[in-house]
Amino acid sequence: MKGYRLLTGAVVGVLATASLIAGAQAADYPTKPIELIVPYAAGGGTDLVARAYADATKKHLPQAMGVVNKTGGGGAVGLTEIMAARADGYKVGMGTVEITLLPHMGVARFSVDDFTPIARLNAEPSAITVKADAPWKTIEEFLADAKANPGKVRIGNSGTGAIWHLAAEALQNKTGLTFNHIPFDGANPAVTSLLGGHIEAVSVSPAEVSSQVAGGQLRMLAVMADERSKAFPDVPTLKEKGIDLSVATWRGIVVPKKTPAPVVETLRKASKAAAEEPAFREQLAKMNLTWAYADGPEFGAAMQKDNAFFKDLMTKLGMAK
Amino acid sequence: MHEFGMLMNGVATLAANPMALLLSLVGVALGIVIGALPGLTATMGVAILLPFTFGMDPVSGLLMISGVFFGGVYGGSVTAILLKIPGTPAAAATAMDGFELTKKGMAGVALGTATLSSFLGGMASILVLIFLAPVLAGFALEFSASESFALAVFGLSIIASISGKSVVKGLIAGFLGLLIATVGMDPMGGFPRFTGGYTELFNVPFIPVMIGLFAAAEAFKSMEDPKVRLGMAAALGRIIPPWATYKSLLGVVSRSSILGIVIGIIPGAGSDIAAYVAYNEARRFSKTPENYGKGELGGVAACEAGANGCTGGALLTMLTLGIPGDAVTAVMLGALTLQGLQPGPLLFKEHGDLVFTLFAGMIFCYVGMLVLGLGSLRFMGRILQMPKSVLTPVILALCVVGTYAINNSLFDIGIMLAAGVAGYFMQKWDFPASPVVLALIMGPMAEANFRRALSLSGGSYDFLYSRPITAVLLTVAILTMLLPLVKRWRAERAGVSGGPVKATK
Repeated sequence: MKGYRLLTGAVVGVLATASLIAGAQAADYPTKPIELIVPYAAGGGTDLVARAYADATKKHLPQAMGVVNKTGGGGAVGLTEIMAARADGYKVGMGTVEITLLPHMGVARFSVDDFTPIARLNAEPSAITVKADAPWKTIEEFLADAKANPGKVRIGNSGTGAIWHLAAEALQNKTGLTFNHIPFDGANPAVTSLLGGHIEAVSVSPAEVSSQVAGGQLRMLAVMADERSKAFPDVPTLKEKGIDLSVATWRGIVVPKKTPAPVVETLRKASKAAAEEPAFREQLAKMNLTWAYADGPEFGAAMQKDNAFFKDLMTKLGMAK
Repeated sequence: MHEFGMLMNGVATLAANPMALLLSLVGVALGIVIGALPGLTATMGVAILLPFTFGMDPVSGLLMISGVFFGGVYGGSVTAILLKIPGTPAAAATAMDGFELTKKGMAGVALGTATLSSFLGGMASILVLIFLAPVLAGFALEFSASESFALAVFGLSIIASISGKSVVKGLIAGFLGLLIATVGMDPMGGFPRFTGGYTELFNVPFIPVMIGLFAAAEAFKSMEDPKVRLGMAAALGRIIPPWATYKSLLGVVSRSSILGIVIGIIPGAGSDIAAYVAYNEARRFSKTPENYGKGELGGVAACEAGANGCTGGALLTMLTLGIPGDAVTAVMLGALTLQGLQPGPLLFKEHGDLVFTLFAGMIFCYVGMLVLGLGSLRFMGRILQMPKSVLTPVILALCVVGTYAINNSLFDIGIMLAAGVAGYFMQKWDFPASPVVLALIMGPMAEANFRRALSLSGGSYDFLYSRPITAVLLTVAILTMLLPLVKRWRAERAGVSGGPVKATK
C-alpha cells in the first residue's frame, strides 16, 4: 500500500516537474530561430510583407525569424503545413484570406478554427477599376450600364474562387446584376487585359492598379471598404453609394491552434512592436500596401466574420463543397 | 536621337559609380551559377537576392538583379551542353543539339557559340528596349486570350520538328505531355483535376518533370556504360568559334533575337517559348534541316539568342506599362517599387535619368556576361574529364537538391525521380523528351487561353478567324504541321527516298 502511494507520488512529482519544465520552456521562448512559413512564392506581395515583418521583429525577439516559402495549391500547401506544425511557436505562418476561402471549396484539410491569430499586418480592399477612356465616370453609371446589359460587362479577376472573383460575385449578389466573370492567372494579367481593352473592368486591389491609375490609363470607380483609401482619397466607397459591401484580402501572423498561451503572448507583443516599427510601415508604404495592424483577438473576430461571409456567398454560388 | 543623348548621360553617371559596376558583375556571376544548377531558376535567384538590395542605392540594387536575370537565362546552357542537364526550361531546347555536339567532341565550340549568341540576342533586346520601347509597348496590349491561345498552338506545332528520329514517337511523347498537363487546378473553374487528393499536384509540377526527364534519365543511363569516363573526355578544343563558322550563323542569330524580343514583349510568354520557337524557325530556314537534333551549331545559337532576346522584351512591358511579362520581371517590379520607382507610364518622365543609367548598366551586364562566360568556359569544361563514378552521383545529388529547392517539397523529388525512370525508358526506346517539356509549357497556356477567349467572346468561336494576329498564328501553326507531310508525300511520289523529315528511322 505504502509502495503504491510512493509510486503515485513519484509519478505525480515527475508530471509536475515535467509541466514545470514545459512552462519554463514556454517562458524562455524563443530559444532557437523561428521559421515563418509563407504559403506563396518568394518575391510576391505576401512574401515581401513576411520578409519586412521578419526583419522588423529582430529588435523585439531574442531569436531571428527565417522566411520559408511553401507554395502550391493556391496557398493550401503552406497553410496546411502551418496548421499541422508542432504547436511550440517555432513554426509560425503568414496567414492570408485564403484561410477563410479554401476550406469551403473542399480543397483544404484545415478550417479557420485550426489557427490562433497573432496579428494582422496588412489588408487591401477590392476596387472596381475601368479604362480611363471608358464611358463610365462614376460607379452609378457603371452599375446602370451593367443593369441595362446583363451579362455583357466583363470583370477580370485573379482566378476562380480567388478573393477578387468573390468580391465581384459579392457585388453582383448585393446589386442583383449579372456580370461576365473572366478569371486570369493572377491580378497582373487581368490588368493587362483591361489596358488592352479586352475586358470592361477589374476587381483587383488599388495597389495592383496604382501605377496605371497614376499614369492616367485607368480610372478607379469605387473601393469595397469601410473607409476611403489613403492613396486614393477621391475614390468613393461602395458604402457611400448605398451598397453595404466591404471585401478585402488580408495578411497576418497565425500559429497552430494548440500553441501554449505564454508563447502566443510573446509573439503578440513582439508582433505589435514590429508592426509599429517605422521601418516596417515605410516598407509597406513603398510597396503601395496598406498597413492594417490588428491584435490577435480583433484579427480573430475579423477572420470569423469573413469566414461566415464567404461560406454563405460560396454556398449561394454553388462553389461550396 | 534624344535617347542616345540620355544613354550617354547614363554611361557617364554609371562610370562614376564603380560600386554599381562591381555589383552588377557579381550579379551576372551569381546568375550564371544559379542558371546552371537544375531547379534554381533566375526567378528564384532574383527573389532571394531582393531583400539584400533594400539597403543599396537604386542603380546598384537593380543592376545586380538585372545581372542575375541575364546570367540566369544564359547559365542554363552551360550544363545543358556539357551534361544534358538543362538548368532552365529554355536550356532544355539548347540541350537538344548542344549535347549532341559534346558527344561529337565539339563541346568547346558549342559553348562558345551559346555564349556569343546569348550575348548578341541580349544586346539586341536591350538596344530595342532603349530606342523602341514607347513604340512597341502598345503591341503587348494587342495580345488577348485568343492571341495567346494561337501562340500556344503554334508552339505545340513545333513538336514535329523537335521529334528527332521518329515523328510518330515524338507525337506520342507530346500527347503524353499534354495529358500530364491536364493534372492540377482547372484554370477556369478553379477546382482540382486528377490530383488524387494531393494538394501538391494543384500546379503542374513542371520543373521536376523536366529535371527528371533530362538530367536524372541521363544519369541513370550513364550507369549502364562500363567506361570510367564519359565518351567525350577529349580536350574541350577551341572555344571561340572560327569566324567563318560563326558568320554563317549570324542570320540565325538575328532572326532568333527578333523572335525572342517579340515573344518577350507578349505577356505570359517567356524565354522557354522563345527558345523553342527560335529553334523551329532556324530549322525551317536551314539548308540542312536534317542535321538539326544531331548536333547543329545553328540549333544552339537559335535557342540562346531567342532566350536572351526575351530579357529586353520582358523588361520593356514591365518598365513602360507596369505589367510584368513573366515571373522574373514580376519580382523586379517589386524591386523597383521598393526603391520608390513606380514602373509604368510615368517612370520615363519622372525618372528618365535613372532609367537610362539602368539601360547603360544593362549593356554593361551583357558585356560582363560575355567576358565572364568566355573566361570561365575552359574551367567549366573540365567537368567532362571527371570520372563518371564521381560525376554521376554528383548529378543525381544536384537533381535532388535542385528539385527540393523549388518548393521546399519532398513530394517534388518523388515526381522528379519517377520522371527520371520514365525518361530512362523513353531514351531506350527512342522517345524524345523535348516534346513532353514543350507540351507541359504550351498545354496549360493553350487550354486556359482558349477557354478564357471563349468566355470573353460570350461563347462565340468567331475569335478564331476574326482577330488578325490569332488567324495568322493559327495558319502558320497549321502550315508547320502539314508542310513536312506534304513534302514527304511529294518526295515519295517523285520516287526519291528521304526528305527533310523521315517518318520512321
